[in-house]
Amino acid sequence: MTRNHWLAGAMTLLSLLGTSAATAEPLVVYSPQGDERAVWIAEQATAAGHDVTILTAGGGELFDRILAERANPQADVVLGLIDAAMATLKAEGLFQPYVPKWAKGLPEVYRDDADRMVYKFWQTPVVIAYNADLLAEDEAPASWLELVEDRYAGKYVIGPTTWQTTKTYLVGMLLRFADDGGEISDEGWDFMQRLYDNAILVDSGDAKTAAFVNQEAVIDLNWFGGVGRLAGDVGYKAVMVDTEGGSPFITEGIAIMKGTDQLDDAKAFVDWFGSAEFMAAYAARFGQVPVHPDAIAAAPDTVKRNATLLKPQPIDWDVVAPRIDGWIQRIELDIK
Amino acid sequence: MTPSGTSRIPLVRSVLLVVVIWCAASFIYAPIFSVLRFAFAPEGDVGLGAIGELAGSRRVRTAIVNTLVVTGLSIVTVNAIGIFQVAVLEYLRVGGRGFLRFAYSTPLIFVSVAAATGYGFVYGQTGALTRLLQSVWPALPNDWFTGTLAVVFAHTFLLTSFHFLFLRAAIRRVDYSTVEAARGLGASNLEAFVRVVLPVLLPTIFATTLLVTYKSLGSFAIPSVLGGRRFDMVTELILTLNSLRRPDMAAMLSIGLGLAVILCIAAMQYVERRGSYVGGSKTPVPVERIRIASPFVNLAVHAAAYAIAVIQLVPIALVVLFSFAPARSIATEVLPSSFTLQNYVTVFSQSTAFVPLKNSLLMGASATMAGLMISLFVVNLAHRHANVGTTSLDLSFMAPWILPAPFIAIGLILTYDEPNLLVANRVLLGGFWILPIGYAVVSIPIMMRFLRAAFFSLDPALNEAAQSLGAPAFYRFLRVTVPLVLPVMILIAGLTLNGILSEYSMSAFLFNVNNKPLSIALFEGARSANPEQAAINLVYISLIMAFSLGIITLADRYGLGGGK
Repeated sequence: MTRNHWLAGAMTLLSLLGTSAATAEPLVVYSPQGDERAVWIAEQATAAGHDVTILTAGGGELFDRILAERANPQADVVLGLIDAAMATLKAEGLFQPYVPKWAKGLPEVYRDDADRMVYKFWQTPVVIAYNADLLAEDEAPASWLELVEDRYAGKYVIGPTTWQTTKTYLVGMLLRFADDGGEISDEGWDFMQRLYDNAILVDSGDAKTAAFVNQEAVIDLNWFGGVGRLAGDVGYKAVMVDTEGGSPFITEGIAIMKGTDQLDDAKAFVDWFGSAEFMAAYAARFGQVPVHPDAIAAAPDTVKRNATLLKPQPIDWDVVAPRIDGWIQRIELDIK
Repeated sequence: MTPSGTSRIPLVRSVLLVVVIWCAASFIYAPIFSVLRFAFAPEGDVGLGAIGELAGSRRVRTAIVNTLVVTGLSIVTVNAIGIFQVAVLEYLRVGGRGFLRFAYSTPLIFVSVAAATGYGFVYGQTGALTRLLQSVWPALPNDWFTGTLAVVFAHTFLLTSFHFLFLRAAIRRVDYSTVEAARGLGASNLEAFVRVVLPVLLPTIFATTLLVTYKSLGSFAIPSVLGGRRFDMVTELILTLNSLRRPDMAAMLSIGLGLAVILCIAAMQYVERRGSYVGGSKTPVPVERIRIASPFVNLAVHAAAYAIAVIQLVPIALVVLFSFAPARSIATEVLPSSFTLQNYVTVFSQSTAFVPLKNSLLMGASATMAGLMISLFVVNLAHRHANVGTTSLDLSFMAPWILPAPFIAIGLILTYDEPNLLVANRVLLGGFWILPIGYAVVSIPIMMRFLRAAFFSLDPALNEAAQSLGAPAFYRFLRVTVPLVLPVMILIAGLTLNGILSEYSMSAFLFNVNNKPLSIALFEGARSANPEQAAINLVYISLIMAFSLGIITLADRYGLGGGK
């Protein structure tokens, strides 16, 4: 007994010292799916026979963390980071190739035929929504480019650029001013300056909620699922706009970390997580739209409807990903 | 003076010496080197590209201007308030001196991020004082308390602690006979103060001015919490650059801040040295506080003295009061109408609320212990065997005193974001221990200053007596030296732990999901619209203040850090 205690103490100490690089312990999964979603995923995974620990944090934070831990990876599997983040981590050589069983039948844009590392499992648009209790339909912006107009001054919120959502819509707007080589015109940067000048700037989710609570903000730039959540928390009716020029879609991917010592378990988990059965169950539970045709077919009707609700803005993330850091830096240092 | 004893003792000491030298190399020299390398040669080639890019950024330029403007204004306002406070306490006869002294001493316990969030709580968008003011001026916007105004206001009433500590001590050294002589020659009270008292105080005022400058240049928590939209100071920009993954620019900007601070400290040292022989009379006639003859002036002085006291006390009083109020009364009442212990129960029983407190205590205790052991070893060594080696070891650990926290933090990040042989090829960034290491590095200089003072006041005869009785060196150290400096050590430990509980600069750079400290929880809570979170924050602030009050009262009683 005392020996066990001693062992337990030593283990704790070791893990505190940060030396516990994936031992024969549960599979460590990094995911930005927070709160009840993470709990539910973990429960379902356990029920399916996978021994996992899910570490959740904001998408930007997890991304930074994975980069920081690159020399001593703590995660075995990463799931739920969006296109650009996954593309960057892949380019940094942090992933292990694996083609999941469910890759068969997955549309090509969601596969990774070149590198066989990152496979996408669900998608979500980043949208403009408005508080329909305070703003009439014909007063709402019809496109992202209208946000800089005077009538929307102080009516929408821009979050920190570390948020995946913020990054996505900023990139989506900037891309409308890109030339063939991917350079943003001066007009585009002027637009960005006006977009920031016109906005309420916040640096936390709570501050964003507060702006909607006290009814300063009535236009919500948010990801699909976030729109309903914010409207529910604050208590208003939200309506999404199918914008001219489309809304940027983000897809979330899953990949196995290079250097995992539990490759077989990781593969089994990836196969299970992306399977049509689990994706459909998740869609039924949280209303998230999967990308696998089999999963959509098995999902509830509302989810099927949501899958075709909004026009996507075409974005080639593999081309965009390497430029994003430079754009965000310019926004942070010159515009914000 | 030569060490003697069994062969085991030098072994113990050699091992300790190796450990201490490794600490200096790993956590002081390597980070400094990393900052310099990244600033001037990020890609291996020496260049000054980072300076160009920094100069090209509008936000960086604005932050530098903001920092200079805030510092310039703070010097004037803090001195005005600080000198007035000292005059009220020590030169003029003003009623209710005990109360005023208490009010004016609050900047000692209401510091850093705790004070910033406290000010945010009362002057912020839904703060009690904002609503009180709005009942008088309905046109006052919710977010009136932001930008330069808010930061300078907070500096003005939070940075007077140096005046309270040092200027009060200095005015007690003024020879009252010189004041009487001046008045005998027809000078008025004010003239006597300006012509006779102030010149004696001038070196101290200059020193406190430099301390204020030093604090204001590196101000971090206050502008982060109170600055509001589009208001940054330099330290915030260093953090932004770091999170944009531009270590070269972050390193360069922290070097700029470091140079400004070093310049300040060099000036301070110069004044300190010069000031030592200007510093008043050796056997002064104690100052008799002057009764103000004009009833009008007297009234004005009383009014100003009490107004300042109220400004300093009200935020603290409201924070403490509301920490005992139900969460729902926060942001809806000017004064709480009912009281409860629920918020305190939440902090100690709910894991999410307790974790930051636990983290800070754990990290603070380990940093304090490690720091104290290193300081004790180094000071003892340098005290007993003064030579080039021990002096340079001593100076190595003092180096962080002249470097701003962001400089060291950036250095630690850049050194340990990949496996480093110095720490057995581990990555420290993202782990638990990097933050306590940072805390220890910035705490050691102040520990060493106090310990050195304690060692110099030791009676060498005691040690010699033990030696002549045959006690070996290590035994003498444990049985003679340590018990004598133990009270000092305990107090230093308390003061350090106290500082770490509300430490923001290191924390903001080095914290992560494994070790989120109290100061970061406070900072995040300050942005929350959720009254439950605000209530938890108020409990944190109250606990920090209570802890500080205990430690400082203790320190004052033993003549450490207080009136001296």
